[in-house]
This record gives sequence, C-alpha cells and structure tokens, in this order.
Amino acid sequence: MSGVRRRLAPDGGKLALGLVVVILVYQVVIPLLMVVWTSLKIERPGEAGFFDLSFSLANYARAFGSRDFWHATWNTLYFALASTAFSFGLGTFLAWVVHRTNTPFGQLIGVITLGRIIIPGILITVSWILLASPSIGVLNHALEAITGMNRMLNVYSFWGMVWVHSLEITPLAYLLLSAALQSMDPRLEEASSVAGAGHWSTLRRISLPLILPAVGAAVMLLLIYTVETFEVPLLLGGRAQVRVYTTEIYFNTARTPTDWGLSGAYSIAILILCAVCLAVYFRLVRHGERYQTVTGKDFRPRRIDLGRWRYVTCALSLLLVFLITGMPFLVMLYASLLRRYQPPSVEVFQSMTLSNYHEILRDPVYSLDPMWNSTLVGLGSATGVMVLVSVMSYFVHKTRMRGRKLIDFLGFAPIAMPSVVLGTAFLWFYLLVPLPVLGSLTIICLAYVTRYMAVALRFVSTSMLQIHSELEEAAAVAGGGWWRNFLRIYLPLLRPGLMAGWFWVMVHAYRELTIALMLARSRNRTASVVIYDLWENGSFPQLSAFGVLIFALLIVLVSLGQTISKRFGVQEQV
Amino acid sequence: MKLAIACLKRVVIAGVMLALSPIDCVYAAAAQSPERLFAELAKLKPEQRAKRLEEGSRKEGKLNFIHTFRGKLARDHVRLFEKRYPFVKVEMADMGSQDAAERFIAEETAGRHLTDTISLAVPDMPVILNQNLVAKYPTPATQRVPKQFEGFLDKQNRWVPWYWSEHGISYNTNLIPSDKAPKSWQDLCNPAYKGQVSFDPPETRFMVGLYVMMGDEKFQAWLKCMGENQPIIQRGHTQRMNLMLSGDHAIQGDNFLYVGAQEKKKDPKTPYAIVYSTPILAYAGAMIINKNTQNPHAAALFSDWTLSEESQKYVADEFRGPLVGKHPYLPDNIKVVTFGYLSEEIVDRLHSYWKQHIGKKK
Repeated sequence: MSGVRRRLAPDGGKLALGLVVVILVYQVVIPLLMVVWTSLKIERPGEAGFFDLSFSLANYARAFGSRDFWHATWNTLYFALASTAFSFGLGTFLAWVVHRTNTPFGQLIGVITLGRIIIPGILITVSWILLASPSIGVLNHALEAITGMNRMLNVYSFWGMVWVHSLEITPLAYLLLSAALQSMDPRLEEASSVAGAGHWSTLRRISLPLILPAVGAAVMLLLIYTVETFEVPLLLGGRAQVRVYTTEIYFNTARTPTDWGLSGAYSIAILILCAVCLAVYFRLVRHGERYQTVTGKDFRPRRIDLGRWRYVTCALSLLLVFLITGMPFLVMLYASLLRRYQPPSVEVFQSMTLSNYHEILRDPVYSLDPMWNSTLVGLGSATGVMVLVSVMSYFVHKTRMRGRKLIDFLGFAPIAMPSVVLGTAFLWFYLLVPLPVLGSLTIICLAYVTRYMAVALRFVSTSMLQIHSELEEAAAVAGGGWWRNFLRIYLPLLRPGLMAGWFWVMVHAYRELTIALMLARSRNRTASVVIYDLWENGSFPQLSAFGVLIFALLIVLVSLGQTISKRFGVQEQV
Repeated sequence: MKLAIACLKRVVIAGVMLALSPIDCVYAAAAQSPERLFAELAKLKPEQRAKRLEEGSRKEGKLNFIHTFRGKLARDHVRLFEKRYPFVKVEMADMGSQDAAERFIAEETAGRHLTDTISLAVPDMPVILNQNLVAKYPTPATQRVPKQFEGFLDKQNRWVPWYWSEHGISYNTNLIPSDKAPKSWQDLCNPAYKGQVSFDPPETRFMVGLYVMMGDEKFQAWLKCMGENQPIIQRGHTQRMNLMLSGDHAIQGDNFLYVGAQEKKKDPKTPYAIVYSTPILAYAGAMIINKNTQNPHAAALFSDWTLSEESQKYVADEFRGPLVGKHPYLPDNIKVVTFGYLSEEIVDRLHSYWKQHIGKKK
C-alpha cells in the first residue's frame, strides 16, 4: 500500500536537512536551553553565579510544592477538556458542512468562521462580558424582556469561561480539519455508500478515521492551547474565582523583578505535558501510510447531498458562525461608534459618532505605521515559518532517518514556552550577541517563527501524511532532483495545509502582544502594541474602532493571499 | 552532559565578551563618568549650568528614553521636548513601569548601555536601585516641587519626580446616590456594597499605599472585612472603570481616578463621582538616569525639562497629576497620602495578607 519511506535524507535534501537543523538549533534549542538553565538557577540572569555550574531544584519545589498550584491544575484540566470537547465538535461540524456537503452558503460560513480569528482576543472577551454580564449583558436584558427572569446568563463563571474560550478556538479546529477534508479521496466514501452504509455511518467509519492525523493534531493543539490561554481566565476567571494554570503563573511571577526561575520551572512542566501529548499523537499516527489519500490518481472530493437536511445544517451553521464571529463583531462595531460604552437605547443610537475613527486616523504615525509594521511582520513570519515547517514535515513524515522525531519534538517544543519567556530569551540572546536586530522588525519576525512553529507544523503535517510517497518516487524515476520534486510536487499538494497554517500564523502574528511589547522600541511598534495602549490608557470605544480597522485590513490581506495562492498554486479541487 | 554544559558556558561567555568589547571601548572613550559630570554641573550657577547642558546635548544630539506614559500620550510629551530642543533627537520606547525596569536591567547586565534615561514609578525602583544602576543627579529643577510633594524627593538624588499617580475610590452615580456612597476605605466593608466593589488583582503599589496610610494591623483588618464582602477581582484598570460606568457594578474600590474624570470631561452625563472625603494614595513617576548613559547631557536636560512649566502643563492637560501647578480635577484641599517603596520583606507580607483574605479560590 505504501511506498517505502527513505531511511536517510535523499541526496538533494541533505542541504535542506542541514539548514533545518541549523535553524532549529538557532531558533529553538538556544532559547530552550536558556529556559532550562534559568529554571535550575536561584540567581537571576545577570547576577553573580548565574553562569556557575551549580544547579538547584528550588524553583521546581516552589512551583509545584503548593496546594494552590495543584488546585489550579485540576481546574485547568477540567477547563481544557470541556473546551476541547466543545470546540472540536463545533469545528468538525463546520468543516464538514463547508467542505463535504452541499449546504447552501458554505463558502460564506467558512469565511465568517475564519473572520473570528482576526478579531483580537481581548476584544472578544470584553464583547462577551458586554453580552452576557449578569448586570449589563445585552442578552440578559433581552431574555428578561422575553421571559421575565433576570440574570439568566453569567459569563463570569466556569461555564462562561468554557463558552467564550471554546468559541475562540473553534476556528483552529475548523482550519485543521478543513485542510484534511479537502485532501481526502472520496472514492472510499463512495465505496462505503455503494456497500449500503448511510451518510452518518460513512462519516463515522470512513471519513473520520481517514483524517485521524488531523483529528489527533486538532485535539492535541486545542488541549495545549487551552492550557496556555490567558485572556479568558484573566478577565472572566478572576471574577469567577476560578484560577487556572496560566493565572496561577501570572500571579506568582508578575511582580517586579520577574521571577525567571519560577517562570522557567512552569515552562518545563508545560513542555513535559507537550511531550506526552506528542508521544500520544505519534502513536496515533504511527501507521502513516493508512492516511495517504492523495495519490497519483486524480480525484475530486465529492460533496454529500444532504437533501432537505441541508437547510437544517445551513441554519445551524449560520447560527454558530453568528455566535462565533457575528455577535462579537457587531458589539465591537457598535462600541466603536460610541463616545463611551453604554447598553443600547434610542438615545445611544442617536448620539453615535465616528469620532473614535477620526481620533485614530488623525495621527498616522501612531496607528497606521504600526499597522504597516504588523503587516510586514505577519507576512514575513507566516511565509518564513510555513516554508520551514514544510521542509521539517517532509523529513519527519517522508523519511525514516534517525532523529526525525527529535525534529518534530523541537518543532513542537516552542508551544510550551510562554510568550513572556520566549520574548525574554530573544531579548537576552540578542543583547548578548551583537547582531544589529534590536529595535527592528527582524527580531520580532525571528521570535514569531519560533512562537508559531508548533501550530504551523501540525497544519502541514496533517496534509503531508495524506500525500502518497508514490508521487515522489514517480518523479524521482523521471529524473527530478529533490528540490525540484519538493517545490513542484509536495508544495502544491500541501496547499490546503499551507494556506490554513499561513493564514493562522499571519493573523496571530498580527495579534500577538507579549513578544511585541518586550521587543518594541521606537521604530518597530506593531498594531498589537497600539491595542495594548488603548486597552491600558484609552477607552473601549477607541479600542473597538481600532479592532474594526484591523479586521478590515486583515480581510484584505487574507483575500490577497488567497488570490495569489490560486494564481500560483494548484487549482482548487472543490 | 558535563562537556555539553561546559561548551555552552564557553559559548555564552564568548558571546558576552563579544558583546561587551565594542561597547566598553565606546564607553572608555567618553570624557568622564556621568556622575562626575553631574557633580560638576551641580556646582555651577543656574545660567552656566543650563548653557553647559545645552552645549553638551547639542554635541550628543540624541537621547534613548523609555517612557512609561503610553502611546500617543508619551509621544506628544516627547514632541514638546523636541520642539523646545530641536538639536536632540529622542529615540523613545514606551512600556509599563515594571517592563521598563526589567528591560533596563537586562540591557545593563548584558553590557549594552542602550538606554540613557527612564521614567519609572517610584514603587518599582528597588530592583534597579539594588543593582546600583542609577546615576546620582542633583538638580535645581527639583526646587520647584512644592512642600506637599516633598515626600516624593530622594535624599540621594537618584531620581527626579515629575508627576504623580493617584489611587482612590469612585462610584457610578446611577447605581448609588451620593448620600449613600462610601465615605472612606473602611466604608467599603459595608454589607450594603457586598459584591459591588471592584479591585484589580493584588497590586503592590496599591497595597503599599494602604499599608502606609493604615499601618499593619488596620490593613489586615481591612483586607479581612473586604474579603468577607465578596469584592469583584478583575484585571484591567480602564476596562474595569468602563464596566462600572456601564452599570456592571457600583464602586471602584481602587482605580486611577483620571480614567473616569477624562470620560466625564468628554461626556458630562457620565455617571461618575470620586470620593473626596477619604485620603487619596499617591506615588510619583520619576526620571532616572543610567549610570552608564552615553548621552549624559541630553539625559540631564530631559530630566530637568520634565519639571518645566511646559511639561507640567501637558501633564495636567492630560488629566495626570502635575507636581507643579493646579491639579486638573482634584480639589486643592484633598488629603493626599504620599508613598514610595518598601522593603521586599514587607511587600511579600502584604501579598500574603491579600492571598489569605481576598485571594481565596474555588
């Protein structure tokens, strides 16, 4: 069934492999070593004794020796499992509806789902506070008017956290599964139908098992993403008195001076959790050949005719995307037109103004330059990281060379490094090594390549696993070199995963705050730094106006990306 | 493993040496140490001193500055300075006070003297002061600081205070009529306000202010009764204020009062009132000069300028607390409790009190 995977890197690929190793050492191993080293030191960086070869486990004892920490860990586990289950269900449903059924408005549903990723997380969380706060929530007012019961919804609760966070990460599940569903050969499903199985039976017994790598990657990423998430636990959990892993870390390390040793110990714990998840994932996809559906034979993914049920799936999907993207965006748009935030009323609608937009656009150096910087950083880091992970993914999944799992682990390890730790590692590294990147966009791009490598790698890996090795073998027989085959065969076939990952990285690089703040100087401020300024010093209406502007700009960029990829990539099969 | 660690150590040390070498050469080329220069300047008459500062700044031509005002607020402030002294080009980064302290320490530890001067909240200074990174800078500019704020000055001249930040109580007038509003910090324990008083997660500055005002015993007792009154703990000063003004809850147990005052100025109908009957807790924002600054004249010129009439007017216009001149919204007779920084041991204790009484978890 499968082509024989190469035991060693092919000749033409040795240069690529060498480059990957060098980049991984530079981008991942060094920051990782700095984190490990710091976690084993009592002294702060810069203090006497920091470089001595005396180590201590005191930071680990402090980190894990308290009952509060384990209490928070239990909350985290519960929160992560509930959010993962919920968002995975929603994401899978939407991906299936959009890519594998004849549900009306499928493309629109897909675009709106992805639009959610563009809105900064802070704004989404605040939007849900304004929608479902017990006192001022618009939804609570509406429900009270209808049912007479007040305070029916409470966003400041454990389940409020699960709800908001699940909607936040649903697009990630959607993106991962969309890429896999688009690369799936439908003949197996057709065979199932011919054998008499119904739609649901085929979905359960054929379609889902075929995209097991994507399912595994999605579940793993959703779990880790939830463990790492900060905005929702901070803004909602603080008030609900539900402390999770990240807020526990924040409260234990947020004082000046930053407790780097403790931060390092926490990072190592997350790293171990990631290693366990990755081991489970590897076990899950150990028979990679089972998922190879993209072969030398032409195929055209088939859409399932749902008959009258398509209107039900359409209505359900539209409701979901309205909850995921529409409602928070409308709240943001509404708030951006106010002088100060107030619940809707006739008086409020009459006093709406564009002054927040005027205020922001009045000073281009303040708002437009950072937007341009973010655009460059987003495009640069997304493109760079996708090229890098495609090559990495090839060596991990298409060769049998020794150490390939180490490449995968190193590519995945940055997910365990909190942004604050990663930002500090890069700052320290370039303070020590006199390369002229401090204060430039380059240093932010380099940090983002590391930051988003893990997620990007999973996007590409799921697509890579679906490509049958016979295509490369056929090309090799025809005399194509490694680089030529990689560029002409793999990259085009990886397009669904590459595009999904590129989009994900670009948008998140645009939104990322912690690293951008730590590395910001006068000339490399990014849009997220402006968001933070407005969040800290401004008002919610101005912040919302800036969010709407970013949303518009990113829509343009993503559309541009789609157009370019269609122009130069393979044509969509669907 | 030992070999690997030894190799790593050599690589890191080599990196440090490499990084240090060119910069140390630059520094060695400087005419004299900044502290010696500042001591000499202190002996000159005001006009001579001003002339020498300007001449020196003109030669240096630039200043690397970290502002803890954010965004537009920071940039417009610096623009005023550049307009006054066009021969100094200011390279400014803006960030929170704690981040600024961390970055400064990182740069200096790595031997990269990239920052000349920083504006920092005084309660965030101990970490920098402990590492002896700050130049002593005696300046006649501080003579403008009125008696009311003399507590902000440092006897060793390690910083130049130039504005102050306030922590106080405020409330939503739609939810609480003025006659039923709290009158003091103690009133926040009133069961009538149960679940209606909000705070940020434990903030050292706020707790230090309360501790200075109340003393240890009363502070603990206050935290205990506050904890029993189920306060709202939510991060984000501005958002918390916006939520209160939207009717989400009634009282800000602690916040920067200027946020609401600015909203009220924009829209007089804003349902916002400040509790004036109880002391307001105040700490200074101050300029410090890097002991290893590469542009000592420009750093000194800028530090002095922050206390000028022009800079202080800007501070007041932007609803922050000027040290010189009238406050933009607080009445003249308001009682202000000034505070600086406390020892790490006391700060740890304050945090443990908070955790014990307010930071209980489900």
